Amino acid sequence: MSSNRAPIVTERLVRRFGKIEAVSGVDLQIEAGDVFGFLGPNGAGKSTTVRMLTTLLRPTAGRAFVAGHDVVAEADAVRRSIGVALQDAAIDPLMTGRELVKLQATLHGISRAAGVRRGEELLETVGLTAAADRRVATYSGGMRRRLDLALALIHEPQVLFLDEPTTGLDPSSRVTIWDEVRKLNTEFGTTVFLTTQYMEEADQLARRISIIDAGKIVAEGTPMELKERVGDPTLTITLQHPDDAIDVERILMSFGEPASGSDGVVAVRLAGGSSRMPAVVRALDDADVEVHALELHMPTLDDVFLLATGKRLEGAEVPSSAEEVVT
Amino acid sequence: MSTAAQYLALSRRSVLGTIRTPIAVIPSLTFPLLFLALNSAALNRSIQLPGFPEVDSFLQFMFATTVIQGALFGAVTAGSSMATDIEGGFFERMIAAPASRSSILVGRVAGVAVFAFGQAWLFFAVATVFGLDVEGGLVGMLGLSLVASVVAAAIGALSVAFGLKTGSSEAVQGAFPMAFAIMFLSSAFFPRALMSGWFLDVAEANPFSYLIEDVRYQVIAGFSWSRLVTALAIAGALFAAGLVLSGLALRGRLKETS
Amino acid sequence: MSAAAVTWGIAERSVKLIPRVPSTFIPSLVMPVFLTIAFSGPFASLVDLPGFPADHILDWVVPFTALQGCAFAGITTGMGLARDLENGFYDRILMSPAPRSALLWGAFVATILRAGIALALMLLVGVVSGAHFRDGIVGIAALTIAGLGLAFAAGAWAIGLALRFKTQQIAPLMQTGVFLSTFLSTAQMPVELMTGWLDDVASVNPVTYVLALARQGFLGDVTWAVTQDGLLALGGMIVVLVAFAYRGMQKVIP
Ligand SMILES: Nc1ncnc2c1ncn2[C@@H]1O[C@H](COP(=O)(O)OP(=O)(O)O)[C@@H](O)[C@H]1O
Ligand SMILES: [Mg+2]
Repeated sequence: MSSNRAPIVTERLVRRFGKIEAVSGVDLQIEAGDVFGFLGPNGAGKSTTVRMLTTLLRPTAGRAFVAGHDVVAEADAVRRSIGVALQDAAIDPLMTGRELVKLQATLHGISRAAGVRRGEELLETVGLTAAADRRVATYSGGMRRRLDLALALIHEPQVLFLDEPTTGLDPSSRVTIWDEVRKLNTEFGTTVFLTTQYMEEADQLARRISIIDAGKIVAEGTPMELKERVGDPTLTITLQHPDDAIDVERILMSFGEPASGSDGVVAVRLAGGSSRMPAVVRALDDADVEVHALELHMPTLDDVFLLATGKRLEGAEVPSSAEEVVT
Repeated sequence: MSTAAQYLALSRRSVLGTIRTPIAVIPSLTFPLLFLALNSAALNRSIQLPGFPEVDSFLQFMFATTVIQGALFGAVTAGSSMATDIEGGFFERMIAAPASRSSILVGRVAGVAVFAFGQAWLFFAVATVFGLDVEGGLVGMLGLSLVASVVAAAIGALSVAFGLKTGSSEAVQGAFPMAFAIMFLSSAFFPRALMSGWFLDVAEANPFSYLIEDVRYQVIAGFSWSRLVTALAIAGALFAAGLVLSGLALRGRLKETS
Repeated sequence: MSAAAVTWGIAERSVKLIPRVPSTFIPSLVMPVFLTIAFSGPFASLVDLPGFPADHILDWVVPFTALQGCAFAGITTGMGLARDLENGFYDRILMSPAPRSALLWGAFVATILRAGIALALMLLVGVVSGAHFRDGIVGIAALTIAGLGLAFAAGAWAIGLALRFKTQQIAPLMQTGVFLSTFLSTAQMPVELMTGWLDDVASVNPVTYVLALARQGFLGDVTWAVTQDGLLALGGMIVVLVAFAYRGMQKVIP
């Protein structure tokens, strides 16, 4: 099956805990080199899915392949290919960062010398060299997540699982982790499976997103596709000469229903999605309209979630004000 | 609410709390009986040793110890549940309530005393099935169970003091082996007449030795008023010390919270 | 090889953690010392009973409390494992490709190392208290085999429980197992001097034979007959309990 070559594939994956069905028939296919965002509210089934994919939990039904290996039948091969940073960064608070790195290298069969070298490199990368001999109990939340990331990378895994890597972190620590993930993905081509409750995080990092709610996938696609599904993006044009507004409105008729605001601002919901942008620009150019600013307001992922489930995601950003401009 | 009614309500809460969490009373009920069973079987021959008091069996010799040991076990739960209450905020609510403050203490301690009394009779029933004969009869048994109540109240008050002082149920549980150790370093498990050397000195300095010997007398010899009064006096002195210490600890707590 | 490296890595961590979680390990050292006093002090005159095999109570008690100390030190590995399983750290270990049996053997090696500390302390207690090492180094060797072997079995019991229940609240069950199996033996009396039900229980309890292995060098000369029974009892206990731990490891991913 060619689909098995994708680093992560699940087929109608199910996990029950007694009567609770935490994951109900999830199908996923993640391509090599992707950053995949698994977005969903608390209790949606994200961690349960990750635990099945990382061989910690046996699926009740369905199948899953990671790096081409069955997570149940070939658990060992899967373990060799993955790096995992679990939710809550379960790190023994009594150990030091350096001890943990060393243990992790040993567990992955890396020789002592190579383990030390690689460990020092990673500690340096995540900025923990100075704190490496302190017990983890004294680390801040952000330091723990960074150490967790370093531990997950010790054996240069093909596939990296990050379960809510920034939940509970302050904004600047969050951005540090994001940068690290981006770098890994672009420099080493590591495939990343990232779960998050934050729309913004999925939007920032993920090339493809699946939204899970109550164990079921309710929407999937690129962030752009998902947002377009909710509704058309709004293009706001600020004109150099407010007098042009009437003409511009006429030109924009063929793209949607334009509306003028004050001071030469014209907004339109682009009926054909953001791909119509160039055509709009060309049409304005042909009519010799001088444009001061052009802004495309996309609906947020929060809107996507709202559309798919009928409820808002906790902790989501305030919805965009684009609509208000139109009406 | 009258003070007496408050005391009653709080002791009721304490007793019911103990009974409703059976997990907490299982060690108190089983360990002393287990030790009794084990020692009766292992050490029964030792009663033939010259100098061993006249007894039917090692079971009869040790029964009083088992009852007191059960009281110790039960009493420590008072302190640790007091500490759990402090951790869980019950204490603050109680302070806010217009209840008399000493009733917090007395309620807790009375609960343990009642429990120890009942437990003594339960042990009596079990041991009787295995051939125990209490020479002092039901009056002797009543005396033994009364002393057990006072000992429980005393250790309860001490562990409440410790619980109030530390506010940690773990610390109280951790201190429990101390009570156990004090009992081992006495004549609770073997007659003083057969001890020698430094251990005899320790056992003779340990008031627990006399307390146990006096209640044991009710079981192995017959009812004796004077010995019962001595045992009650020792237990009562311990209780008074416990009350003073826990009163001080309670005052310290109240100062912290108000 | 990497399996050996994993085993050593796990064992090394466990030993390093001893001083960092003193609340688990210290009681396992204090208890046997205390029990030595509690079982020798009051009962010193038991040696006067006709047929009692020891001339001095400490020769009878020290090997017993030494074994108990080893067993209690051994189950602290299980407590540590329960802690790792409870707080999720063990997930990290399980997600690695390290062979599961290497992980288990790491815990077993740690058990024996921890028991070694308790044994050393109890030997010191034996010397200080004046117990008689009648068969010298051979007797000490017999005690060492008995102590570390029993710790291995007790550790496997605790590890098996930890893997099944994944919570530190299971610690009392670990301890109860050690308490019952050691006390329902010839802990206080030889079988011939027991009465009632206990002699039946003690004669089928393998710990009785391990205890005989440990005691022989304190009571007289080490003999092959006693040693053989002790080794068989140890072997049986270890095989069964190690299997119990292995089954637990298989169940850990439900
Ligand atoms: N070990 C477990 N036993 C019972 N229920 C569980 C277990 N793990 C997760 N669940 C339940 O499964 C559902 C999904 O949980 P989880 O996968 O942790 O969600 P998320 O990671 O998306 O917040 C929740 O209802 C949770 O309570
Ligand atoms: Mg989760």
